[in-house]
Amino acid sequence: MDCDDCVERLYAFLDTELTKAEIIEVRSHLEGCDDCDDNFLFEARFLQQLRDCCTTDVAPAELRQRVILKLRAASAPPTTT
Amino acid sequence: MTGGATAVGYSGQVSSDTFETEALSFLDALYRTALRMTRSEADAEDLVQETYIKAFRFREQFTPGTNLKAWLFRILTNTFINSYRRRQAQPEMTELDDVSEFDLYRKMSDARATSSGDPESEFLERIVDTEVKDALGELPEKFRTVVLLDVEGFSYKEIAEMLEIPIGTVMSRLHRGRKFLQKRLYDHAQEHGIAALRTPQKG
Repeated sequence: MDCDDCVERLYAFLDTELTKAEIIEVRSHLEGCDDCDDNFLFEARFLQQLRDCCTTDVAPAELRQRVILKLRAASAPPTTT
Repeated sequence: MTGGATAVGYSGQVSSDTFETEALSFLDALYRTALRMTRSEADAEDLVQETYIKAFRFREQFTPGTNLKAWLFRILTNTFINSYRRRQAQPEMTELDDVSEFDLYRKMSDARATSSGDPESEFLERIVDTEVKDALGELPEKFRTVVLLDVEGFSYKEIAEMLEIPIGTVMSRLHRGRKFLQKRLYDHAQEHGIAALRTPQKG
């Protein structure tokens, strides 16, 4: 595997979407190539930061209340009129 | 008797409480994704409520033991695509300039070669949440949706199934979406902050 092949698999590797055999190939390239190794490390840090920044928001408390009320209303037995 | 729900899905009083508890544990994740999709707090709240009402109505179609979060997100994305997208105020751009070749790492290693600091860490440390959120907001919707679903931890296959697109399309949208975000953040860093990344003055 050369550097181009390795970088082509960068995101699939970091997203844990490669097969076992491909992971072994990528890992063995990274062990012998500082530049690709740095590149992967940098992208991994970037993706982690993106994830951290996007997963901090919480839903407003009153939205939770409203959803609960709607679900309770929907699950109540139908009333006869 | 608790095992019966496995075979028949969520129905009846006891399991509708179970459904409520389990489904509500994903409220924050659904809300923040809806917020980034609609780019409006009011629309996000409506979209989330609609998602829960639909999920509850069709709860018998969910197979307990499978991924409830993925099932809810599928309803969220479908609802968004079918109704909210149509009433977005601004028709937004649907394609990206070609950013797929943008190589942030290469820019960083070039900067490192001509400066004494650590541009990579400097770059990552000074990224603030608002910049990322602004950059996400500028990302065309079909790319943004894939990036958001990835951030929530779904696999390529799950995203492909939710959006009914091939896995190869998920991969290319994710790739280009990430490159777009990196380019925006890099341009911003170059304009506003990091000395090592500043464009050299023309003499």
